[in-house]
Amino acid sequence: MAIIKAEKTTARPAPLFETSVIGWLHKNLFSSAFNTLLTGFMLYIIYLTVSGVFVWGFADATYVAKNRRECYDNSLTGACWAGVIHWLDNIFYGRYPRDQIWRINFGGLLLVLWMAPLWMSRVKGKVLVGATVVVFYPFIAGYLFSGGDKGLFMQFTIAGAIVAFAINMANMITGQTKNLGLNVFLIQMLGQTKATDNAQRNILLLLTALAFGAAFVWQMGWTVEGITWTKWGGLFLTLVISGIGIASSLPGGIILALGRRSKLTVIRVLCVGFIEVFRSVPLITVLFMATTMFPLFMPEGFVLNKLAQVIIAVILFNACYMAETVRAGLQAIPKGQYEGAHTIGLGYWKMMGLIIMPQALKHMIPNIVGSFIGLLKDTTLVSIIGLFDILGMLRSISKDMPWIGLHKEPLVFGAILFFILCFSMSKYSRHLEVKLSAGERH
Amino acid sequence: MTDDTNEKPRARARPKEEFNFFQDQRVRSAFYQILTAGIFAWLVWYLISNTAHNLEVRGMNTGFGFVNSSAGFDTDFKLIDYTPGVGTYGRIFVIGVLNTLLVSFFAIILSTILGFFIGVLRLSNNWLVSKVALAYVEIFRNVPLLVQIVFWYIGVFSLLPSVKKTLDLTFGTEMLMLNNRGLYMATPILGNLFWLTPLALVFAIAGVIFLRRRAHKIQDQAGVRPNTFLPSLALLLLFPGTAFLATGMPLSWDMPTLQGFNFVGGTSVPPSFLALLVALSIYHAAQIAEAVRAGILSVNTGQSEAALSIGLKPYRVMSMVVIPQAMPAIVPPMISNWMNTVKNSSLGIAIGYSEVVSLFMQTALNQAGYAVEMVGMTMAFYMFVSLTISFFLNIYNKRVQLVER
Repeated sequence: MAIIKAEKTTARPAPLFETSVIGWLHKNLFSSAFNTLLTGFMLYIIYLTVSGVFVWGFADATYVAKNRRECYDNSLTGACWAGVIHWLDNIFYGRYPRDQIWRINFGGLLLVLWMAPLWMSRVKGKVLVGATVVVFYPFIAGYLFSGGDKGLFMQFTIAGAIVAFAINMANMITGQTKNLGLNVFLIQMLGQTKATDNAQRNILLLLTALAFGAAFVWQMGWTVEGITWTKWGGLFLTLVISGIGIASSLPGGIILALGRRSKLTVIRVLCVGFIEVFRSVPLITVLFMATTMFPLFMPEGFVLNKLAQVIIAVILFNACYMAETVRAGLQAIPKGQYEGAHTIGLGYWKMMGLIIMPQALKHMIPNIVGSFIGLLKDTTLVSIIGLFDILGMLRSISKDMPWIGLHKEPLVFGAILFFILCFSMSKYSRHLEVKLSAGERH
Repeated sequence: MTDDTNEKPRARARPKEEFNFFQDQRVRSAFYQILTAGIFAWLVWYLISNTAHNLEVRGMNTGFGFVNSSAGFDTDFKLIDYTPGVGTYGRIFVIGVLNTLLVSFFAIILSTILGFFIGVLRLSNNWLVSKVALAYVEIFRNVPLLVQIVFWYIGVFSLLPSVKKTLDLTFGTEMLMLNNRGLYMATPILGNLFWLTPLALVFAIAGVIFLRRRAHKIQDQAGVRPNTFLPSLALLLLFPGTAFLATGMPLSWDMPTLQGFNFVGGTSVPPSFLALLVALSIYHAAQIAEAVRAGILSVNTGQSEAALSIGLKPYRVMSMVVIPQAMPAIVPPMISNWMNTVKNSSLGIAIGYSEVVSLFMQTALNQAGYAVEMVGMTMAFYMFVSLTISFFLNIYNKRVQLVER
């Protein structure tokens, strides 16, 4: 005997405990007596921390004052942000002449504009964009920051950088508006779409040469005042050192990692030794070695300035860490990829450059960005050997007469600044990882 | 190093029939290796000859003879006897090494305990607890360690009350005194026959191990585990306690006492030590917490579900099923963190803690000027520590792998 219900039973709503806010609270915060206790305890700790920080950093803080005494007159328990605000220019730019600060800002803007196309989906030729940044930007930025007389070599590279930047910007515009690469766009404009490839290339080369000539003539017309590196400082110096470190440690690390996995014994042994030596000692000893021993290594009369010594040390040190990251990425590549590349007849460099490296680097993006973050944080060590990077500047506030003894606030400010920089970098790397591996989730 | 690795033999199929000297893989491989070795040898020779020439021009001394010559400066924190003007540079090096190892040792212990705790909290069911642990990790990971060290030193330990208003951390017994000159601790003075007490403790521990083994056996056979906690506790307390009392309590304390402007007696550590210790522990705890979390997440959820379904209590699931399986994934990053702790302790130089870099590579180098030797010795010390630790790590990894398969 069967009982058949004629009408469909309507679904009961999900229990309140599963869907509502109360349900969430119950599940996540008050699921048991112990959890409730824990939640209460945590709330209390959060209350203590947040209220303490709020009172010290905001409610009782002084933002406008001429010296530390005025801060104390205003409030004894609050932070004295006035000192930090007063020194803000120094924290960011060091002792760079105040009327020349636009050069740093302009250099930074140039970099942002130059790199911007990398994030635009419609722009063509991103590899070239990235390559021109690495090849040309350091020269024009270096000249902008240090200034002085341009030698002939600098004139060429600056003209090249200007042309590369202009091409990049034009390419960005044609890409964004017409979805075309600049080369295709120019050929269309000139009505040469039917010409042979060779003719098209010659036209483009001619145009580039003309642009280069114009840029060369134009750059001869101006120079900027020379500023020695001793005036560089603050966040600017930190970013210069870590920027150069980041840009050079990745290629250096790739070369070392390839050397370490090489079949040639001599090369492998040398690379392993180099990597292991630098990885087993602290950065500060490498920095000391750079400042005390580089002068001895160099031929007599050849003097490297301290900044250059430090940058070389940072590059050597970080290239070794990067090498291990890259090696881990290489190890994750299945053997079939190597064999496949060999089968289609690729040589060693083509196999590495076209097949293996792109995959390895993509796998390791979070770790590579992690190394970059580590490098940025480690750059603060240069303050120990007497460069006035951001930490050096923050610490010298307390030695400035009006703000004497103001230690905590600058350090807290620096910590917040670093936190924002590093945290956003790591969050972005995770986003990038998800974006790049979207197609290959198993 | 960069130019010479650029050219390597292409892995092309070698024609079998004819031997082409320039296309032969072995010939090319040998050629590039000899070339690399040659360039490297030339580089080494070039650097050495430059250095020798520069040292001669500047009239700087060389050789390791300075190790036995006396150093004229003093240090505020030392674990072995040293008198300025009498003690040698070699002794200064040993003092620095010991100070580095001391702060690293305690920082490693503290950061491992704290890191495990935070890592487990990160995976708590309680939303608030896991978010607080996340905030801890993100904050301390993303701020440079040097900034944290300087902050703890200048912002906390230098602002403590002065000697006159010193803080008593033990609420009245005056055995732990904290002020802006450091932490002062009472030191135990061991009397006659005191060695019997530690010996009794060793016996007690052996007894506890025996009890647990037996409990295990009984559990295997009967399925019921006898309670070992209370007997163990009794054994651990009573045995050494009796020995201590029977030998007539041969232990007294060397108390720190205020004399004039400072404390005398007991053991003391300077504020720079405390700041370095706290900063290193907190910073590395954040790193270890991430390693612990990743390790625990690497254990299949089926394992903890199965453990729960056979009736284990949640903390037993953690301690008997999840953590043992997570250990092979946790230990390697954790040990490399320990290595980093030793290396990062060199940042004590920024706050004047007399560890090996600040004492030997900076002060002694400025005084005596044996740049190459001193830099070499300091780096050799760090390399020795790193190699030792990675040696043990490799042994561990091998053992874990054997257990697994």
